[in-house]
Amino acid sequence: MSFTTTTHDDHDHGHGHGPAVEGAENPGGHHEPAELRDHKERLALWMFIAGDALFLILMVFTWFYLRTLNSNGMWDAAQCSTANPCEDGLGNPILAQITRADPWHAVIIAACTVLAAGFVWLAEIGAKKNTTKGAISTPAGMAFLFMVLAIAMQIYQFQVLPFTTIDGAYASTYEFFMGSTLAHLLILAFVGLGLWIRSTRGRHAGGTWYRVRLIRFFAVWVALSTVILTVVGALFA
Amino acid sequence: MTTALAPPLLEDTKLGPNAGGLYERLNIWTGLGFGIFLGFVAWVVSHATLQGSNWGTDMVVTCTMLGWVIGFNIGIGTFNAPIRWMLGHDQTHEDELYVAGVGQGRHRYLKYCTDHKVVGTQYLVLVMVLFAVGGTLAMMIRTQLITAHSSFLDPQTYNAIVTVHGMVMIIATIVMVSGPFANFIMPIMIGAKDMAFPRLNAMSFWVIFSAVPCILATFFLGGVNAGWTTYAPLSVQAPPAMDAFAMCIIVFVVSVTVAGVNTIVTVVTMRAKGMTMGRLPIFTWGSIIGAGLGLYAMPAFLLAMTMMITDRVTGTSFFVAAYGGSGWLWENVFWIMGHPEVYVILIPPVAAVLEIASTFARKPVFGYKVAIAGFVAIASLAIMVWAHHMFTTGWAPNLAGPFMLTTELISIPTGIIFLCTIGTLWKGSIWTRLPMYFVYLFIWNFIIGGVTGIYLSDVPADQYFHGDMFVTAHFHYTLLGGAMIGATAAVCYWFPKMSGKMLNERIGKVAFWLIAIGIQVTYFGQFWEGFQGMPRRVAYYDPQFLSANQMSTIGAYTLMAGWLVFLYMMLHGWRNGKIAPANPWHSKTLEWKVPTPVPLENFLVDPVVTSDPYTYGEGVPDGQEVPDFAPSDDPELVPAGSAGSGAQTDAGGDH
Repeated sequence: MSFTTTTHDDHDHGHGHGPAVEGAENPGGHHEPAELRDHKERLALWMFIAGDALFLILMVFTWFYLRTLNSNGMWDAAQCSTANPCEDGLGNPILAQITRADPWHAVIIAACTVLAAGFVWLAEIGAKKNTTKGAISTPAGMAFLFMVLAIAMQIYQFQVLPFTTIDGAYASTYEFFMGSTLAHLLILAFVGLGLWIRSTRGRHAGGTWYRVRLIRFFAVWVALSTVILTVVGALFA
Repeated sequence: MTTALAPPLLEDTKLGPNAGGLYERLNIWTGLGFGIFLGFVAWVVSHATLQGSNWGTDMVVTCTMLGWVIGFNIGIGTFNAPIRWMLGHDQTHEDELYVAGVGQGRHRYLKYCTDHKVVGTQYLVLVMVLFAVGGTLAMMIRTQLITAHSSFLDPQTYNAIVTVHGMVMIIATIVMVSGPFANFIMPIMIGAKDMAFPRLNAMSFWVIFSAVPCILATFFLGGVNAGWTTYAPLSVQAPPAMDAFAMCIIVFVVSVTVAGVNTIVTVVTMRAKGMTMGRLPIFTWGSIIGAGLGLYAMPAFLLAMTMMITDRVTGTSFFVAAYGGSGWLWENVFWIMGHPEVYVILIPPVAAVLEIASTFARKPVFGYKVAIAGFVAIASLAIMVWAHHMFTTGWAPNLAGPFMLTTELISIPTGIIFLCTIGTLWKGSIWTRLPMYFVYLFIWNFIIGGVTGIYLSDVPADQYFHGDMFVTAHFHYTLLGGAMIGATAAVCYWFPKMSGKMLNERIGKVAFWLIAIGIQVTYFGQFWEGFQGMPRRVAYYDPQFLSANQMSTIGAYTLMAGWLVFLYMMLHGWRNGKIAPANPWHSKTLEWKVPTPVPLENFLVDPVVTSDPYTYGEGVPDGQEVPDFAPSDDPELVPAGSAGSGAQTDAGGDH
């Protein structure tokens, strides 16, 4: 491999060993051009989201796989028939269908996440325009508020479900969906709180607006995945 | 090239008194202390509040393991930066230098350090420890099987050992190349100063470190008796050790995912000027393709283990048929991960073998682009073959044909890569040093492992072989004989750059012959057992299998002796080895163009690449070296104050 050499000044992206580059967020951190940081972080986030999407797809696969098997009659009572009487050999019912979860709880949670993502988007616009500090921190604070509301609603839904985890495959997968949503919301709330606090300190104005865009990407993904799980849980029970 | 350079940053550079902040107080001991403390607190609290519930013990074990993992990572400093980010208190310049290892000397190896070379070395040591644990368990298995009804182990303990041996080895082999070499070597290979996300890099190591005690704890929690595949519903009914096992995997998945993303982003965004994708060393291609396949496989592993743990801890019924679950669901989700994972293990060491073959044959990689296409084809097909593990389960018999076809198809790109390896060596002026010994062994083993895999992909043959020792022999030939020997070649090849010392080849050749003979005797013995019909995972067997088992056990002891000699060679080399030149193999890739030891940020001057990495002998008559490096009188290329750096001692004349 043949190569020539240049100096650090030409292309610096290491441990801060070199002059600061305009656009770097932290003058003490890794001095890199903002474009490079943006590229790196965006690519990484997209890959994390892709991995998370595979997790989501497999969760939905699990739902439909168990629903198709329907080995304890929990999923779709309408299919009981003369040929499939939903009884065991002694005439005892093996139909295990239970009261379904109230879809409105999930809809409210999904709505909160969508609103949270929308407010993060507004914060991004404020950061990009590099206007007042409040143009970022106010929507960021609203976004965090809706994230907290969604978490509170998710915990409430756990408490009021008409079934528990031990009530069979439908109950298991539904609650797994809820657990997944809660885990995502907790991560989003951590990031959302950071966005809010940092924006009140003026950390996200101007050259580092792309960091807010990263949070928006994640918030939109969380909203999208919540909507998908809500639709599956409500329409294919 | 006119600007004066900043002075090099070394590990003994003095920083200000406040450099590092909280990081200064944190190290592996505080990590262990916090981990044990939080694990204990979690145990006390969960025991007091949850023990009486239906799944009390499982909940207590899960909470305790979670407490350990979180506590350890608090204690080592994993969460410092994210929390400081959230609070708006970004790290200072000196903090960044401190966590990069500046001013810490050897202590940085026991701390949360962002220097990719430190992380790579940490991974290498961890992998060696994991292999030592897995190997010890393997020897216990083979000792048990030296007679038909040995009383060395009881069946429960035997099953627990088989399970942990399998999973420890899987964990170790997944990271054995991507950990040490994709961290230490690959960034230098592409002309980068570090990985794209140094903090995530350190995090990936310490997270996997915290996963290891979870799996070792299984021995004290009743043992996991379900095999490394932990098939449901057996694993749902297993002792509480299964909770610790699942927690280990969940934490491991987090580590591998973070590391995989970091690897890919590093290659895509951090390459030196002129280092086009077409000029990437083949090892780099293998690393990113393996990492990408890992990103596909790991979510399935995470889902499978999370559902497993909720079945055990909260009473869900994903895998309990009586309540609407299905054991087939486990098998599907597990093998959606499980078969791609085999190629996550295989592709990076195979790429390393191609890299080494090119260097020692003094020839470009034969069919460079074809080999890359082969890796991509393997990765693509790997996601479409999982159900061949389920041929005998009765799941979807109509799909047996298509899955047999896709599995057999995968042998085509595998064969192409094999031919690329042979083609690289063909008519080369081969310089047979220790790494090449292991390349030859890799070729021999890999063809046996590969060809026997084709038998298993065939539905009728699999009806006979499934679940017997033939399968065990096949995948050990592939993963140990192929991947692990490829990784061993990589250790021999890159050890001088990583440690600054040369290995003793005389000791290495003793290790090589013991390992080579040990592998053949051990696994031919197991093929023999398989042909006779001996099932795997049994503590006792019919005396008709005695001879084959004795052969296998004798081979295993020979193999163990070989690895012990190899370990001695490494430790001896690390302490007493000769100082390594900067480029002892006269290689053309960039990692050999930097001083040894490699300075922080690797390059004092940024390289601009002007040709592909395998220009051996091009345009130079009579085998003279290509002058592919800037003149040695260039003051900016003087090594970064490193004693014994090879720039002065390199005998190869590359400079």
